Amino acid sequence: MASSSDMKGFFKQKKKTAAGKGVGKSKANKTTSFKKPKNSASVGTDQVQPLALISHGSLDLQDDYDSNEEVLRQFDMSLAYGPCLGITRLDRWERAKALGLNPPKDVERLLRAEKVNAQCLWDGRI
Amino acid sequence: MAAAAMEVDLGNEYDSIQRKQSLYKSLDERFGIQKEMYKGQQYSQIYFARLHLMRTMLYSLIPNWKPHLPVCNVLGLEEGKECIIVGTIYKHMKLKPSILDEYSKERSATPLVKPHNFVSSDDYLVLEDESGRVKLCGALLLPSFFVTGIVVALHGKETGAGDFMVEDILEAGFPHQIERPLVSGEDKYVVFVSGLSVGGSSSNPLQFQLFIDHITGHLGDEKEQSFAAQIVQVVIAGNSVEYPRTLLNGQNLNAKDQSRLSEPIKELDILLTQIAAGIPLDIMPGPDDPANFSLPQQALHRCLFPGSSAFNTFRSCSNPHSFELDNVSFLGTSGQNIDDLERYSDANDKLEFMERTLRWRHLAPTAPNTLGCYPFTDRDPFFIETCPHVYFVGNQEKYQSRLIKGSEGHVVRLICIPRFVETGTAVVLNMRNLECHTLSFGTEFST
Repeated sequence: MASSSDMKGFFKQKKKTAAGKGVGKSKANKTTSFKKPKNSASVGTDQVQPLALISHGSLDLQDDYDSNEEVLRQFDMSLAYGPCLGITRLDRWERAKALGLNPPKDVERLLRAEKVNAQCLWDGRI
Repeated sequence: MAAAAMEVDLGNEYDSIQRKQSLYKSLDERFGIQKEMYKGQQYSQIYFARLHLMRTMLYSLIPNWKPHLPVCNVLGLEEGKECIIVGTIYKHMKLKPSILDEYSKERSATPLVKPHNFVSSDDYLVLEDESGRVKLCGALLLPSFFVTGIVVALHGKETGAGDFMVEDILEAGFPHQIERPLVSGEDKYVVFVSGLSVGGSSSNPLQFQLFIDHITGHLGDEKEQSFAAQIVQVVIAGNSVEYPRTLLNGQNLNAKDQSRLSEPIKELDILLTQIAAGIPLDIMPGPDDPANFSLPQQALHRCLFPGSSAFNTFRSCSNPHSFELDNVSFLGTSGQNIDDLERYSDANDKLEFMERTLRWRHLAPTAPNTLGCYPFTDRDPFFIETCPHVYFVGNQEKYQSRLIKGSEGHVVRLICIPRFVETGTAVVLNMRNLECHTLSFGTEFST
């Protein structure tokens, strides 16, 4: 659900590195509190993908989505631990532990130690 | 605890009468919200906590009920397969007021006076768990008995139409009750009163003053005073003040109106000081009191009672309120939970609603659906863990009481406390045998 009203809102894109990589599109951030969606569903158009990347053969679909985030998203989507919206991932993990649901320890390790998103994947998008 | 020695003014051959005392233990910790932090969560979290808590408990009861049947979740239902499902009941009620009705395109002539009870003959029930929901059908299931928010186990099978035909229901049943200690033959009384509505237009100050004088032993002969000396606790179950409605419409008040606003609570404090000086007193907030709206209502602030709170006998408590007195356990509310059940289901009397909440093991199943409630994320404080010996509800139309007996030796005294402003009646419970009677005060003499 894009909060902006025009088409550009669908094609948000984040730069992989801080320094611009030649042809990079700038982001249109409507409000400071709105977080950009993690996945850009923008395969096939050269409007969005930097030409430089396409020419190298791989599409920039990663954003902040890495293997850690994948594990955490699986935790978010799991039915057993209750709704994920409106509660931080760590709070949800602690609740699952307190209710005796045996949530995976890897998730706790990721949430405490590493630089990952504290909120669930739907946060800011619904 | 302060024990009041009452001196009988009839000469020195009489000794002063000592008030009896009881050991009090508060169990209200679960109803406190001081440690809770609101982080933008919705009510789905408390429903999940409730479902998990009660489902775990029901799963432990199913082997004693129907051990041969498989248990599955809603998504695992197959047509014709006989099984047991556990989930939260949702009751679809067409008469239930919905905020969306204001936006509907067809503006039919809806009556301005809303019906007191929203039950309709075409209400239907749905069972929901985290995997899905399924409509329930079956002659066994009377929708007017149930409300949204209770967790039950159902035995049945999925029909061709995609509904679940219910053959049997398992409710949680009474929670475990710790056996009441056998008292040595001593009568000790607890007095319940509610709906004082001090400061309201229909409150009669003399009536409540009579009540205070009676229980503190300032009235009557030695026999009456001896009875009063056996009162060990007073519980005020909500709606102790009534504010003039005209002052509460959100407008800025001038100085004169502001002082009018503080009058009811000041008057109440003066009256309560007289009680607290002699008897342990618990006061609970009610729907009309200056406390938060949603359950659990937090204790009325001590600053509202500068006079009474000086005594250590004065206790401001939450609503719901749970405590133990000489190891007899009490649980009660100021009425919101039972009144809400009355709006969304049918029963012969209020005591039946109370018994149902005990059998469902949940004090306020309609919270948060139609009853305001704090959005807890990891617990549901309204879950009844141990069965009380005395279960009371305040602010009811009339006094009613029943002693119910459960399957495993449970004995519970149910009490509906009438509104004092309307009836002038308080309820007295004898802790020795759980017998109940009323104390009525009148100030008019019929000729």
